[in-house]
Parts: sequence; structure tokens; C-alpha cells
Amino acid sequence: MIGTLRRKISVYTAYAVMMPKMYLAYSIWVWMSFIVQAMALVIFVAFWKAVYAGQAAIGGLDLQGTLNYIILAQLFLPVVYTTGTIYFFGELVREGRVAVELLRPMDFQMAQYGAVVARILINLALQIPLALVAWLLFRFDLPTDLRIWGAFLVTMLLGNAMLFFFDWILGCVAFYSTEIWGLSVLRFGIATFFSGSLVPLVMMPDWLQAIANTLPFSHALYYPVSILSGITPLADVPGIWLVQAAYLLVFGLLSRWVFRVSVRRVTVQGG
Amino acid sequence: MEIIRAENIIKEYRIPQKDPGLLGAVKALVRPRHLVKTAVNGVSFQIDRGEMVGYIGVNGAGKSTTIKMLTGILVPTGGRVTVLERDPHVNRVANAREIGVVFGQRSQLWWDLALIESLNMVARIYEVPPARYRALLDEFAETLDLKELLHVPIRNMSLGQKMRAELAATLIHEPQIVYLDEPTIGLDLLVKERIREFIRKQNREKQTTVILTTHDLGDIEELCERVMIIDDGKLIYDGPLATIKDRFGQFREITFDTAGSENHLNLPDGVELISNENRKLHLRFDRTVSSASKVAAHVMNQVDVLDFSLAEPDLSMIVKQIYRGALQREQEA
Repeated sequence: MIGTLRRKISVYTAYAVMMPKMYLAYSIWVWMSFIVQAMALVIFVAFWKAVYAGQAAIGGLDLQGTLNYIILAQLFLPVVYTTGTIYFFGELVREGRVAVELLRPMDFQMAQYGAVVARILINLALQIPLALVAWLLFRFDLPTDLRIWGAFLVTMLLGNAMLFFFDWILGCVAFYSTEIWGLSVLRFGIATFFSGSLVPLVMMPDWLQAIANTLPFSHALYYPVSILSGITPLADVPGIWLVQAAYLLVFGLLSRWVFRVSVRRVTVQGG
Repeated sequence: MEIIRAENIIKEYRIPQKDPGLLGAVKALVRPRHLVKTAVNGVSFQIDRGEMVGYIGVNGAGKSTTIKMLTGILVPTGGRVTVLERDPHVNRVANAREIGVVFGQRSQLWWDLALIESLNMVARIYEVPPARYRALLDEFAETLDLKELLHVPIRNMSLGQKMRAELAATLIHEPQIVYLDEPTIGLDLLVKERIREFIRKQNREKQTTVILTTHDLGDIEELCERVMIIDDGKLIYDGPLATIKDRFGQFREITFDTAGSENHLNLPDGVELISNENRKLHLRFDRTVSSASKVAAHVMNQVDVLDFSLAEPDLSMIVKQIYRGALQREQEA
């Protein structure tokens, strides 16, 4: 039993490790990404400084607290953006690559989850130079309490898994629609706003916060980063985990069922 | 021992129908219409372990769809597929472990990575024991001439190199069944021959069952003893290659090397002149009307013959005849 589990972990890890290798095959992409994100960071900081001109606090947050949150949210943005699951489904169905992927003797969803986690990890690792630049320019704060780091990591892991299953359900639309570009764009727009990458959710009106809390994006970025930046106190963390675990269960089961039903519609023309 | 069984399998596709132009696109948005196309229509067959079966048909006949149902990628609309006593779609992962598939137009390799990385990965996924993997890698590198390619990214390979790499990745876990969907498409003769030899060797030494779909009838002639022909979704022939040649190889070709030129040949009934150039006389005869010996005797009476050769019936010609309804005509007769 343990031997089988160890073998399975080894296989899925090996598959996941292929993703960073492919990603790093194009070094120009890595450098371009760094430059674009560094510019975005500078713009965000300038924007929030302008917003705070003449105001001590907005939504209970002072300028330093907001900047701290925004910089960290930008550094951890790959958690929301680099999943690529919807795009991956579109490509699978449109180009018929689904034929090749389904032929691998692996649980398709588990293999893709491993791949997504690997892509996120490599993207986070690539954020380290950006973090150094941000620290040199803007001096953001990081917590010293290890419990905060632990709470942050667990919240991020749960939130990311939630988001993966959510994207998986959306991705299955590709089996019906073939083209999924519109859905990807919609997801990108909603994720950008409701993940809290632009504005901390506490600054939003209650009704908007309620929408953001219903969607998985805030659980993948806002909650972990707000824990790290001190906006969300540790006392709130167990409640957040409970909600995340419930979502995870529902999304996980639903995503497997949706895939099982929709994959029957797969059409792969030609050799 | 039977390892593949298809029972009356049917596959229908719903194809969206749109009128041309912007108005057509808008109409399709409001009221989408679909055309149901039956790609495979009631096909049944059994395949035994170690068989090499050629599965042929024109474009759109239903070859690839059948293969995809056997691999578990597609679910039949009707009928039943059993591979190694399993439903390949329901038991997709278990089935995938026992099979290997080459799609001539799709790659299972990682485009941006060196071949060795892809092969290592495939060996990990299929849990090939390391010692066995090393032995197979050495063998495949030798027989498929891959030594120089192991560290080359797939995207930098030529078509023939990619196909050899693809075959290595497909067979590195020693599958019981291999589906080859147009494996020699677009390849030159030397690469084709190397690939055919490799497939033959795998079948001979490991009893690997091979199902081969191709437009290159040379592949079939070189590799398969059994042929299945599909046309418009229906299996119109399933039997030995030799029988099909015998039944439909109505015309044969005979070539004479002559000492001189003779422009006014008197040919018997059922014999047709194809060409007569550079002291080479090329004839085709209907073997239901005449025979090789009769044709040879007739020609030798008129021309000084140095040598002659008789070509076997050409499979491509036979298949063309079958598509044109020869099989149906024969059954009616």
C-alpha cells in the first residue's frame, strides 16, 4: 500500500516536473515576464500613493498597510494567473491533443493538478528577483511569526486547489463549445478584480465583498496574502479553512463528475 | 487468443451546420443546427494476440475513429468494444498501460524537450524497471538509429526523426497492443523501411499485436497478413491479404526486355499495352482471360525476348477496385 502510494507520487511528481522544464525552454519569456511585472509593480505603488494623497486611511488601512498588501499580492499573483487550466482544455479539444493526453496511464485530473502546482512553484520562484527589486525600492514588511507563515501556506494551498477544481469545471465547457477563448478572457477579468490583486477586499462595499467571497479567486490570493500582510488576524484563519475545505469538497467532486460526463462528447477528427 | 473484440460498434458525430456569411453565423448563434454523421456504422471484428492487421480505407472512412474507440479515447454511440477483457473507456488508465499508440499527425512527446527527457518520462509514467528501460533504450537507439537524437529537442527534428522517436516512446513500455495510425505518413523510403523492420521485429520477438491504419499500402504489404477494409463507416472486407490479392488481383503486369524494337505487336484478348520504349515492353493482362505463360509465348513468337518479369498484383490497384464497388459486384454475382 505504502509502496504503491510512493510509486504513484513518484510518477505524478515526474510528470509535474516536466512543466517547469518546458516553461524554462524559452528564457526570453522569463525575462519579459520579469520586466512587465516590475513595471506593473511600480505603476501600482504610484497609483496607491496618488489615491492616498490627503487621506490617512481607506477601509481601515493606512498607505503602508495597503502598499504592503498590494506588493505581496503582485508577488503571489502567479497563484491565480498561471493555472492555465481553461486554456489547456481549449488547446486539448481544439487541436485534438486530448487524444494523446488521455492515452497516458494516469489519472488525468491528478496529473494536471501536479502540473499546475509545478507551474505555480516555478513562477513563484521566478518572482524572487522581483521580490528583491520590490524590497529595495519599497521596503515591504514580512511577518516574523512562523504561525502566520504556516497559516498563509495552508490557506494558499487550499485556495489554489479550490481554484484548480473551479477552473477544471469551466474548462470542461470546451468539450461542448470547442473554442474557449471568450471564457478565458472572462475568467481573467473576474479573477483580476475579485482575487484582490488590485484592491484589498476590505476596501470594497459589503455586497461586492460578498460576491468576492463566493468566488474561489479571493481564497487563492486575497486570504493568504491578507494573512501574510496582517490584514486578516490569525484568529479568523480556522473559519477561512472551514469554508475552503467545504468548497474544496464540493468543487472536487463536481469537477470529476463534470469531466466524466463531458469527456464522452470528445471529438477528435483525423489521425 | 482473442484480445480485441468490436461488436457492432457505431460512432456518430454531431457536426454544427452554419449558413455562409455573417447572417449565417448569427443564425447559428440563435438557432444552432447539427448534422449527425455516422463515422463508424456497425463494425464487428476480433483480433488475436500477435496478429498484425492492416486497417485501410479512404479519408473519412472511419479508420481513425475505430482506433480511437479501441484505445478508449472515444466512446461508441452503439455496440461494444472489449480490449484485453476490459471496456477501454471505462477502464481507461488500466487499458492505457497495456497499449501503445502512434498518431502520425500528433505527438506524445514533449515538443520543447530533448528526446531522452521524454523517454525518461514515459518510462516513469509506465513504471518500466530502470534496468529494463536501459536495455530497451540501448536496443531502440540502435535499431531506430536514435543515438544522435537523444539530446535533440523534438521541435528540432525532421519528420522521419520525429516518427522514429515516437515509435521508441510508444514501445518503451513493451505494450501488448500497438495501434499505429498512419505511422509512415510523409516519410522517405529509407525511413519507412527502417520503421517497418522495427515493427516486424517487435511483433516477432514480443508477440506484440499491431493494428495499422495507413494510406501507404506498401506498409500493409510489408507487414500484415490480414487486412480490414472500411468504407463509409462499414467494414467491407476482413480477411487475409493473400485472398484479397487473389480475388481482386484481376490484372497483372509483365515486362519484357527485348533485343529489338517491334512497333506492331499483335496482342491476344485481355492483354493491354502499357508502354513500349527503350526495348522494354510493358503489358497488362486480365488473368481471367489469359495467363502469364500465354502472354509470354505470344510475345516471344513476335519479338526476340532477352528477359521478362512478372509483377505481383498491386494492392493499391486492388483497393481502388474495391472502393469502386468490385466487392459488391462480386457478392451480387
